[in-house]
Order: sequence, then structure tokens, then C-alpha cells
Amino acid sequence: MAGIGGADTTGKKVGWGLLNTVVVIYALIPVLWIVSLSFKSSKTLADGNFIPREWSLENYQNIFSTSEFTRALVNSIGIAIIATAIAVVFGTMAAYAIARLDFPGKNLLVGVSLLIAMFPQVSLVSPLFEIERSLGLFDTWPGLILPYITFALPLAIYTLSAFFREIPWELEKAAKMDGATPGQAFRRVIAPLAAPGVFTTAILVFIFCWNDFLFAISLTSTEQSRTVPVALSFFTGSSQFEDPAGSIAAAAVVITIPIILFVLFFQRRIVAGLTSGAVKG
Amino acid sequence: MTARGQGRTAFAYLTPALLVLAGLLAYPIYQLVLISLYDYGQEQVSGGAPLTFLGLGNYQNLLGNQQFWTVLGQTVAFAAVCVVGTLLVGAFLAILATRVRTWVRMTLFLAALGAWSTPAVAGSTIWLFLFDANFGFVNEVLGIQGFSWTFDKWTAFGLVAAQVIWCSFPFVMVTLYAGIKAIPGEVLEAAALDGASAFRTAWSVTLPLLRPIILVVTIQSIIWDFKVFTQIYVMTNGGGIAGRNLVLNVYAYQQAFAASEYGLGAAIGVVMTVLLLVITLFYLRALRRSGEVL
Repeated sequence: MAGIGGADTTGKKVGWGLLNTVVVIYALIPVLWIVSLSFKSSKTLADGNFIPREWSLENYQNIFSTSEFTRALVNSIGIAIIATAIAVVFGTMAAYAIARLDFPGKNLLVGVSLLIAMFPQVSLVSPLFEIERSLGLFDTWPGLILPYITFALPLAIYTLSAFFREIPWELEKAAKMDGATPGQAFRRVIAPLAAPGVFTTAILVFIFCWNDFLFAISLTSTEQSRTVPVALSFFTGSSQFEDPAGSIAAAAVVITIPIILFVLFFQRRIVAGLTSGAVKG
Repeated sequence: MTARGQGRTAFAYLTPALLVLAGLLAYPIYQLVLISLYDYGQEQVSGGAPLTFLGLGNYQNLLGNQQFWTVLGQTVAFAAVCVVGTLLVGAFLAILATRVRTWVRMTLFLAALGAWSTPAVAGSTIWLFLFDANFGFVNEVLGIQGFSWTFDKWTAFGLVAAQVIWCSFPFVMVTLYAGIKAIPGEVLEAAALDGASAFRTAWSVTLPLLRPIILVVTIQSIIWDFKVFTQIYVMTNGGGIAGRNLVLNVYAYQQAFAASEYGLGAAIGVVMTVLLLVITLFYLRALRRSGEVL
């Protein structure tokens, strides 16, 4: 494709190279900067050097020694995993019905799940706050898991039904004709074909739950169920007299790097999942 | 299976999802509308003070409030800047990605996915620190230590917009790239054989073929950028000094939680929902036109 419009001159090549660099800097520098900050000692934190002059694990030791952070990490992981599991199971069932069965109101259903995905979450915050307080769910794990499921479910249904449409379901029939039991046909033929889609959806849903800030800040009030994004916004440093920037940087790295690595590792699938909504095939 | 049998099986498969959505979405929406019709403040939430039915009072209040219109205007302008920025950066990178060698393309995609997957809170913090008045890298490079980017209303909005674009361009880039790749090579070859210039090919062949996808990513970006909450909340400390960096989403939250005006907050929520609903209906129509099977 590089040759459209004639041979590339050296000038052009340099131009493209420069552009690439600018783009990569725009995308990468912020993340590298926070990593750098997180490894700076409290003395050198404000020196503005891109590479820490003095590498230290001080900030990480600080955050991991407070229950404020470790408890939030446990909450984040637990809540996101449970919500993801439930949303993906329910979503898989619904998407299977949408992809394989004919029933009235099918198109409406997918349309509605799209509508929900677009719904402004902030609108639900007041009523949920009200409902959860009266049910005693405010500031508990289920209090966050439930709204996450609500908003993850449409995402799961939409992504999964796009994946499931591409599965050659005739293979199931063929396997049965070859003498496989329905269970075997499902386990040996359909499950392996469906697994990548389900897996990708689980990643997308997990990221959604992991990143949420709005529900987490409005439906929690104590360490008991606060997730990391919220805990991070409340950080005041390990002692009153300390600038919390180092701890905040370290905490941001802890919640960001695993997700980035995860996404990069499964990037092909995630790209497929992301584009399934907009591009066919 | 008969049509009827299929319907019944389908219903069984759909039940859990439907139950969740009815209980956790439909009911709260009903509550939202209900709350928006009452004078619902701190005394009513904790003290059990009697509820006063206001009817459309909260809405009248809201629509007669100058701040609401300012915030609405800011929201639209802010979203517009973010959408245009996201589309330009995303589209440019998608085109770039089709013209470079494989390893360069991989680097571009990896960098983009890194930005995309950064949690919003972490991303906002990262950008704040990058532009921090005293120890920020940007001020260090520009030699303007002590300059606060978040103090002035416009630089604050600009900074937040740069962050929002940063975390949303990857979606546009990846989607458009997939769209460009899906254009059959013969079409472009035919254009080249007919003597079309690169610009002409892009303008008259590629662009029309991409139109449906461009429409979809545009509307999706509008919906997202209209709903920006975390970035504004974290980067401008809850809406800026005296609320001058507020957008609708944060405004609704502030009215409900900071000012304890749950009724008014709910009314803003209803207004937001209606606005987004309209945009989404356009989106659905665009999807159908682009030939997407729903």
C-alpha cells in the first residue's frame, strides 16, 4: 500500500517516520511518565526528570502497607470477577437464543440492549442509591456487583451474538449424525468454537467493571467495598505530611499495567471484539 | 423445532437476562422518574421528612436555571471537540497503519491499545501528573514550572479533552482500520487502472465505502463523549472552581450527592437520558443503513 501515488521519496519516508514517532509518543509517554513517577523516591519526586535519578520501591511499599489500598484491590478483583462471571453466563444464554432460535421480538431485544449500553449511568445513581439503602445493599459487594451486571449484560449480549452468528452451527448436527450425544456435540464441537468469543467478551466486561468510577464512588462509603479507582481518588499519602503523588502514581500503575499487559497479550481477540459491533466479518 | 417450541426455548434462555434488566434497570428508571417529581433532599433521605409532590417543579426549576443552560452548552461544545479530535486522530492513524511496515503497525496498535485499556481514573491521574504545575514533565520541557493547566477554565477543558481523546481514539483507529482492510483490493486497483490519483481514489472510492462505518464510530463517540464523567470529576476536582468546568453528567451527580438535591439530580438524569435516547435512535438507524444485522 505504501506505493500509492508513486514511489516514496526519502523526504516522504522521513515524514512518515516522524509522524509515527509523534503518535507513539502521544500514546505512550503518559503511561511511561506515571511509571517513572511511581519509582521515584519522595526526595526526587518533583525534579521533573523523565528517568528517575534514584530508583526506589518506597511508593509501592507505602501503598501495600495500608489497608486502604490492599483492601480496595481485593474489592476490585472480587467484584469485577463475580460481576463478569454472572454477566457472561447470562449473556451467553441470551446470545445463544438470539443467534440460534427464532422468536418474536428478537430484533427489538438487540436494539434494546444497545440502548442500555448507551444509557447514561449517572441517571441511575440516585435511584440505585435510594434502593440500595433501603435494601441494606449500600456499601456492600453486591451493591456494586448488581449495577455492573446490568450494564455489562447488554455489552455481553451484543458482542456475543455478533460472535455466535459466525459459528457454523451445522457442525453440531453433523456431529450428532456421526453418533455423538448432544453433550458430546456441545463439548467437542460447539464449545471450542464458541470459547474465543466468550473469552473476549469476558475480557471486555472485566475491563468495564475494573475501570468503573461512577458507581463505585456513589454506592460505597467505606473501605469495606471501595474499589481501587475510588480509593485512588481519596489517597492522601501514607502520612498527613506527605505529598500523595507518589502513592497515587504507584496505585495507578498497579491497576493499569496488569490490564494493559492483558490487553496486549490478547490484542487480536480484543480487536475482533471491539470491531464486531461496527464492522461485519 | 416448531416456531412455538423455539419461542419457548428462547424465552427460557433469555429469562435470567430479562429478570436482571427488569429488576436492575427498569425499576430504577421508574424510581428515577418518580424521584424527579418530588422535592427530595437530605431531610427526606435520612430524616424521613414528608415528601412534597412537585409535579414538574424540578424540571421548571432546572429549565429556568441559567447554570443548567451554561452546563448544557459546555457539554455539547466539549463533546463536539472530543468527537472531532477523536475522529481526526483515529482516522489519521488508521490510514497511517495501512501504509507502514508490519512492525511499525504493530507498535502503533500496541501503543493505542495501551492507551485504550488504561482505567479512566488512572488515565486522568496520569495526565494530571504529566501536566502538573511543579513536577510535570510537560512544564519541565516547556520551561514553565509553576504554570497551572487546571486553573484556567479553557486550559482545564483542553487538558481534559486531550485525555478523553487519548483514551478514545484507539477504538476509532482499530474500527476504521478494519473497515479499510475490508475494502476489496480489486476496487482500488480498478480505480488506479482508470487513472485516478491517490487523492481521488481516497475521496471518491474509499471514503464512500467507509461512510457507514464512519457514521457508526461518530455516533458512538458522540454518545461516549456526552457522558464523560470520570475525567472531569478527577481532573478538575469535581467540576472546576465554582463549577465552571461542569458537564451535564457531573452536574447531575453534584446536584444529587454534593448538594443533596436528589429530586433535581434525578430531573437532570431524565433530561440526559432523553437526549441520549434521541442520539441512540439515530445510531440504530445508521447501523441498519450500514447493513448491520441486529
